[in-house]
Amino acid sequence: MLIDLKGVHKTYDNGQPLHVLKGIELQIEKGEFVSIMGASGSGKSTLLNILGILDNYDEGEYYLAGKLIKDLSERVSATYRNQMIGFVFQSFNLIGFKTAVENVELPLFYQGVNRHRRHKVAMEYLEKMGLTGWASHYPNEMSGGQKQRVAIARALITHPEIILADEPTGALDSKTSVEVMELLTRLNREDGVTIIVVTHESGVANCADKIVHIKDGLIEKVEDNRMHHASQFGTDTVMK
Amino acid sequence: MRDLLQEIWESLRRNKVRTCLTGLAVAWGIFMLIVLLGAGNGLLNAFLADGLDFASNTINMGGGVTSKPYDGLKQGRYIQLKDEDTDLLRQPPFSEKVDLVSTNVSKSGYTMTYGRRYFNDVILSGTMPADLEMNRIQMLAGRFINDRDIAEKRKVIIIPHLHAKNFLSGGTDYDKLVGQRVKVGNLSFTIIGVRHGAENQDDRNLYVPYSTVKSMFGLGNDVDEITFSFHGLKTAAEGEAFENQVRATFNTAHRAAPDDRRAVWIWNRFTQNLQMEKIKSILIAALWIIGLFTLVSGIVGVSNIMLITVKERTHEFGIRKAIGARPGNILKLIVTESVLITAFFGYIGMLLGMIACEILNMTVGRSSVEIFGQSMKMLDNPTVGVGAAIGATVVLIVAGTIAGIFPARQAAKVKPIEALRAD
Repeated sequence: MLIDLKGVHKTYDNGQPLHVLKGIELQIEKGEFVSIMGASGSGKSTLLNILGILDNYDEGEYYLAGKLIKDLSERVSATYRNQMIGFVFQSFNLIGFKTAVENVELPLFYQGVNRHRRHKVAMEYLEKMGLTGWASHYPNEMSGGQKQRVAIARALITHPEIILADEPTGALDSKTSVEVMELLTRLNREDGVTIIVVTHESGVANCADKIVHIKDGLIEKVEDNRMHHASQFGTDTVMK
Repeated sequence: MRDLLQEIWESLRRNKVRTCLTGLAVAWGIFMLIVLLGAGNGLLNAFLADGLDFASNTINMGGGVTSKPYDGLKQGRYIQLKDEDTDLLRQPPFSEKVDLVSTNVSKSGYTMTYGRRYFNDVILSGTMPADLEMNRIQMLAGRFINDRDIAEKRKVIIIPHLHAKNFLSGGTDYDKLVGQRVKVGNLSFTIIGVRHGAENQDDRNLYVPYSTVKSMFGLGNDVDEITFSFHGLKTAAEGEAFENQVRATFNTAHRAAPDDRRAVWIWNRFTQNLQMEKIKSILIAALWIIGLFTLVSGIVGVSNIMLITVKERTHEFGIRKAIGARPGNILKLIVTESVLITAFFGYIGMLLGMIACEILNMTVGRSSVEIFGQSMKMLDNPTVGVGAAIGATVVLIVAGTIAGIFPARQAAKVKPIEALRAD
């Protein structure tokens, strides 16, 4: 069991309390490709933040690779994020004044890997993403798809337990979206990377083997989607 | 470290104008600090120059007039020091503390003639070999009075360098004068040395052996001044107590009240020197404080700019934290940036400050002013030493850290979810 959530509750308190997660039970095995679907306000982003150790929860337990993730200090949670989680964001979140390869290197920088080795590994990952020629380009010189591939390379470089992708195609056109989802699928199939994609697009969700539907802070149903027939659009078009 | 520096370089390069403006404030602060300290040193050097003309562990005494009746004698009695008085210093409780003892008698109102050149109103000052050390007499040529001069009552003389210069028609080859003869009044003396005197014509002391003056003028056992050096005193209080002990002993020997401060005139150079050192350190401290306050505005500037930088880079810090930057990493990044800005521009300011001090030294330092008829340097060597430079370096690093720590803590506190949301 790679991820084990037991009765996770989360309440935001901005003036009046907002009970966002009302007892989430979720188990994800190593090597799974899971998508989390839900309308906005359903709590899926909060769930993703908790899974990514970016946010705390109030009740319940969250085990990641056998470690209880609860009430960690900033320092420890940063280290866990660095070692166990790779993030892929909707808006890429690359650092603008760093080149593609420098962006990819950054997680290793925080692991204290020396500069030569860092560069070498980062170049390997860029090559894997087909971006060797773009290594010394800055993010604003690249297309959305390229930027997202740089971000994926950055997420992969530390060999994390999971890749958390938050609306990874949200800022991409449909053609690029297909490419990025194919890339994630390939990583899952070929390299056995565990991937969790949060999305509200059924087409994107349909790429996953398992779809977790979340509604009003609770898991509504977990759908087996190994046949990839989940959405009515899923059969012929991939998304959008 | 190289990575850290590269990160900082990138960040500074993106904000050149802003960085330079901030740096200017720091450079100005340090510049003012250095110039203040330099000018302060110059002033102190100029005004305290006289204070260094004698060894600080000495006491100088002369006869006075009693200010109160004692032992059946009326006040207003003149006290004449005698040769025997020096024996008091060789007995307990003084014998273990007192080192050198010198006595002095002088006769003034003579004219010194050398060929066709002459000086009016010179002073024949009969003194002892120990005077060389206690009054820090600097010999430029020849030698000082020695024991044989005293024993044989030789008619030898030591003249100040300004007189010597005059005798040499402006030349400074003082050795030429050694062995020459000069007349003082009707008496002929052989020059045995030229000493460094004051830089003005007021220094008219011609040193001759104590015994020579005594016998020439038939002065018996009268002494004008007794100077002695001592050891083993540390604090001003100890110096004060020692002085009082000396006063009581001498006063008693001359049948004056032990606490009569006017019966025997005592110049305690030890306590005076301590006081001067104290004044000096207070002045230097005051200058540092003024300088540091000037620097504070620079520090506030750096802090301000760093805060803006941190605000601008909130999103970036959020990304960094999401991919594994610990709060300490972010803190170090900002503090180092702050220290580097402060140190770099601070050193520029320090360098300019030192150049300014040198310019001061070459202009104002060379000129002198007339104060109360005395020619005086305005500034004497107005520069800062290695100590002040090291001090300023420490100040810069501390200042940079202080300026950076508040913004850095802001940056380290950035919550990745909030930062990432703000796009």
